[in-house]
Amino acid sequence: MVKINAKHVNPFVEAAMRVVTQITGIEVRRGHLSYKEKAEPSYSVSIIIGIYGFLTGQIVYSLDGNLAKRMVDKMMEGKSPQEKQIMFLDCLGEIANMITGNAASLLNQGREQILNITTPAIASGTNLSVHLVPKPALVLGLITQYGPIEISIAVEEKETLQEVGISMADGLLSET
Amino acid sequence: MGKKVLVVDDANFMRTVVKDTLAPNGFEIVGEAVNGAEAVTKYAELKPDLVTMDITMKVKDGLEAAREILAADPNARIVMVTALGQEKMLLDSIALGVRDFVVKPFTKERILSAAEKAIH
Repeated sequence: MVKINAKHVNPFVEAAMRVVTQITGIEVRRGHLSYKEKAEPSYSVSIIIGIYGFLTGQIVYSLDGNLAKRMVDKMMEGKSPQEKQIMFLDCLGEIANMITGNAASLLNQGREQILNITTPAIASGTNLSVHLVPKPALVLGLITQYGPIEISIAVEEKETLQEVGISMADGLLSET
Repeated sequence: MGKKVLVVDDANFMRTVVKDTLAPNGFEIVGEAVNGAEAVTKYAELKPDLVTMDITMKVKDGLEAAREILAADPNARIVMVTALGQEKMLLDSIALGVRDFVVKPFTKERILSAAEKAIH
C-alpha cells in the first residue's frame, strides 16, 4: 500500500527557498501542489535523487534550460564561459543535493535513525534516460522570475526496518 | 607556506567554492578527491593539515573515509561539509573525532572559521 503524505511537502518548500535564494540570489515563491501517477519531469533539465530511511523513494527536480542557465550564471559569477559550461550539470546537481539534504534534515527531526540520500543523477535535453521508480508523486510547483521549478516527491513511509530493506534491495535509482 | 588542505567532494562546484574561499586566506590546496576512497589514499600520500569532507559520495562515503583516516592518524583534522545536517549524523561525526560539521549551503565566513579553528 503506497502512503504519500502532504506533510512531506513543506520541508521541501522551506529547503528550496533557503537554498536557491542563498546560492543563486533568485527569489522563489510557492506555486500549486498537484498529483501524478509517476514522477515524470515536465521540463528539459531533470535531477533525480533517491531517499531512504523511514521514507523511501525518489525526488525529481525539473526546470527549463533558461532558468538552469540563470542559476548556474549566478553560482559561477566571475568564472569563464568555458568553466560555466563544464560545471553546468554539476552546479544543478549540487543545488538539488542541498535542497534534498536540508529537507531530509527537517523531515527527520526528532528521529534517532539517519534519513539518507543518494548522489544526484542529472539529465539535460529531451533524451531522458534516467529510470524512474513507478510510484505516485506529489508535485510541488515553485515560481521564480526566470521560470518554474517542479519538485516531484515520490516517497512512501516505511514503518518497519524490514520494509526499508526490501525497498533498498529493489534499487532506488538506476540509470539506463 | 600555508596550512595544507585536501578538499573532498564529488561536486566540482563545491570543491571550487571551498578552494576559492580557503586559498586566499592562508591555506594551500594540495589535493582534491571525488570520493571517500580517493580521500583515504590522498590523505596518506599528501599528509595534509586539514581535510574538508563531504558525506554523500559514491564508492565510499565521507563518514567511512573519516573513520579510516582517523584510525590511521588520530591527529587528523577533518571538517565535515555536508547537505545532511541531521542530529544523528552530527553526533556520529563528533564521536569519530572530526573537528567541525558545516552544513551546506554555507557562507564563506562559516567554512573559513571552521577551517581556522580546526588547525589551531
